[in-house]
Amino acid sequence: MKKGKALFGISTALILLLSACSGGNNEGENEKVDKEILEKVSKTGFPIVEEPLTIKMFTGKSNANLNFNWNDPLLVWDEYEKMTNINIEWTEQVLKDNLEEKRNLALAGGTIPDVFYSANLSNLDIFKYGKQGTFIDLSSYIEDYAPNLQKFLENNPDVKKGITFPDGKIYSLPALRDNDFLAIRISAFPWINKSWLEKLGMEEPGTTEEFYEYLKAVKEKDPNGNGEADEIPYGGVNLEYLTNWLRGSFGLGNRGSGFVDVAPNGDKTRFIATTDNYKELLQYVNKLYSEKLIEQNIFSIKWDQIMANGAEGKYGSTVFWDPQSTFKGPEGGNYVGLSALKGPSGEQLFSPVSSPLFSNGQFVVTKENPNPAATVRWLDYFYSDEGARLLYMGIEGESFEVVDGKYKYFDETIEANDASKFVPWVGVNPPGIVKQDYFSGAEGTEKSLTAAEKIKPFVPEQLWPSEFTYTEDENKTLSTIGADIEKYVKEMTDKFVSGDVSFDEWDKYVKTIEDMGLEKYMEVKTEAYNRFQKN
Amino acid sequence: MEILEKENNVVAPTVHYKTSRIKKNFSANWQLYVFLSPALLYFMIFHYIPMYGVQIAFKEFYANLGITGSPWVGFEHFTRFFDSYYFWRLLKNTLVLNVYGLILFPVPIIFALMLNEVKNGAAKKWAQTLTYAPHFISVVVVVGMLVAFLDPVTGIVNNTIVKFGGEPVLFLTDAGLFRHIFVWSGQWQSLGWGTIIYLAALAGVNPELHEAARVDGATRMQRIIHVNIPAIIPTVVILFILNIGNFMQVGFEKVLLLQNSLNSETSDIIQTFVYQAGLLEGQYSFAAAIGLFESVINIVLLITVNQIARKVSDNSLW
Repeated sequence: MKKGKALFGISTALILLLSACSGGNNEGENEKVDKEILEKVSKTGFPIVEEPLTIKMFTGKSNANLNFNWNDPLLVWDEYEKMTNINIEWTEQVLKDNLEEKRNLALAGGTIPDVFYSANLSNLDIFKYGKQGTFIDLSSYIEDYAPNLQKFLENNPDVKKGITFPDGKIYSLPALRDNDFLAIRISAFPWINKSWLEKLGMEEPGTTEEFYEYLKAVKEKDPNGNGEADEIPYGGVNLEYLTNWLRGSFGLGNRGSGFVDVAPNGDKTRFIATTDNYKELLQYVNKLYSEKLIEQNIFSIKWDQIMANGAEGKYGSTVFWDPQSTFKGPEGGNYVGLSALKGPSGEQLFSPVSSPLFSNGQFVVTKENPNPAATVRWLDYFYSDEGARLLYMGIEGESFEVVDGKYKYFDETIEANDASKFVPWVGVNPPGIVKQDYFSGAEGTEKSLTAAEKIKPFVPEQLWPSEFTYTEDENKTLSTIGADIEKYVKEMTDKFVSGDVSFDEWDKYVKTIEDMGLEKYMEVKTEAYNRFQKN
Repeated sequence: MEILEKENNVVAPTVHYKTSRIKKNFSANWQLYVFLSPALLYFMIFHYIPMYGVQIAFKEFYANLGITGSPWVGFEHFTRFFDSYYFWRLLKNTLVLNVYGLILFPVPIIFALMLNEVKNGAAKKWAQTLTYAPHFISVVVVVGMLVAFLDPVTGIVNNTIVKFGGEPVLFLTDAGLFRHIFVWSGQWQSLGWGTIIYLAALAGVNPELHEAARVDGATRMQRIIHVNIPAIIPTVVILFILNIGNFMQVGFEKVLLLQNSLNSETSDIIQTFVYQAGLLEGQYSFAAAIGLFESVINIVLLITVNQIARKVSDNSLW
């Protein structure tokens, strides 16, 4: 008994001691920006500061560039340091997989960097720490110190709405995609095997009905001519890509991806998954699945299996990225992009397109930052044309050349681990803007660009950012009711398509969603949407 | 306590005697305590000290405020979990999957008893090696094998079914089959490993008992039932209680890897939910609350089973 008590006492003491240690000294002084500092930051031209300045940044990295320490000489960063007189010290360089954890450790451990660069912060976190004062409001700096971003925001008011939080502040500067570069804003492209089309004597399908006919023909008429019915009319990584592509043909998704859009007549928000149109869409996809026109194991298929099938040229159609550069193989070059299909009631829309505001949480300035104005100016260059060229191509004559007006990496550049020895962007999604001329990833291939041209006329007029900014209460609703509803919809979508659940139970499905708290969920979405419109 | 002792003069001498005995004991056996200390330290540092972090289950965790600095929210995260649409499904799936696994608890015992009867040394060794080899395969690889074998189009199992004129079975996306696939593949993997302890216990059975039984005309079956089984019962009980201690912790990685939207009706368990909420969505407090809930169930079960075992069989952990 006594021994037990003693032990308990010791451990309690230890716990108290420890908690005492870990508390405290988190309160940093909220430094007011010194006027003198501001005066030393030039508003135009380079260098940004006369006296060398060092800024500490935390950054996310990808597998491609993990082995290149950004503190070592790297073409782009060195050049930019020379231009600006600002030296960036990359205090932490973290692989994307560990980002969340490392970011939290950095926030918790007291060694808060000056900037979280390319750290994938969610709007939820940005607002949480912004309200606390850990991340500072940048809206006052944008006008004076970010002319390029300012210009973009003026031309794209929706982007400005998307980065403004419910308290009217801007805590984070975004990663943008140029308006003209549609190909990179399309999530996955629909592709169809052109040579099979020719063999079957068919035209490129323009309606959902024609698409069905094509899939059927692929299954029955042996277009690869090997005498076996081994063709897979439709195959892909998951069912979602297919339904996301097709939902525009049923008049859904007129604000881009996501669960909510705006009802066609009027200005009311609409929950997509309980509409009759959605039912029709699922019935159509269910027809494809039950007639085995969709790869039967699409719900459990693994990545390498798809790549193998793709390389063998088994797919008649898919929704994916440029098959030539992803699948490779003999059939890879035969695919051509499809546009939006015309649906049974004449609707034709290409829904899965992201807003130019690709992601918000890529550049956050913390309260530790000695010179936010200079920091914002440092980033602003990457929203300009020359800046995008520097970030994505490097320096002419050193990492790329201009051939017939096109920007091309040297072969040595590409060999260096997808150019990561020279340029920092690969797999990182850095803050700044991506422009078509300077982008050399899979979305920038000739094929993708042609495919995007076809899709262009059917892109929704207004596109919402991938997430609105919410208040804390709204966030709570979304992470409880919202998460449950979205999970349920995803699950039931697959079940309706696979036939596990029959369409007789549609009403029950709708009822369940309503019981889960759809009304409250929609209230939040509508509120956020209204705020978005007003900002 | 201290005050009580001082006040009560009658008790004091005994206490004094006791402490001096402890001291004496310590100085006599200090080497043993030194040996013990790394283990104690290990448990202290890695199992007891981290427990103070459990408090975030009752807080809204802000990384920059730290564990102790974050504001209290009481039982908010718990109510949120209990109110969730998926709560009952998660609980049911977790329990069913575990009970199913527990029902198969006797399988390695039976296998060990059978193996023990094999008198051909080489065959015995061979069978043993063969059954515990799968134990060393990593979960990811096992799932990879399952997916490859059970694939509806290219899998060997379905190809065989089709060859014999059947319809391919969608093993991986059938909610009804998930539990069987999960539990039996787990059984396949752990069977040989699980028998080792029982075999060791069986090796310890006094051969004289067998001889005596044989003299009395006991058949082989009777000898197993009346000699072998009673001999390993204490081991069985202890292992059973230990198993109960891990009750809610089914192999989470495997569930996650086998999960898809069509079988989540049965494959959605508390731990995959925690993974989703805690690691993927970064809701640490919520995930901690669920984890704590799970641990509470665990400890209640452990104590109950231990109590029952002590009453019924005289064997128990404490």
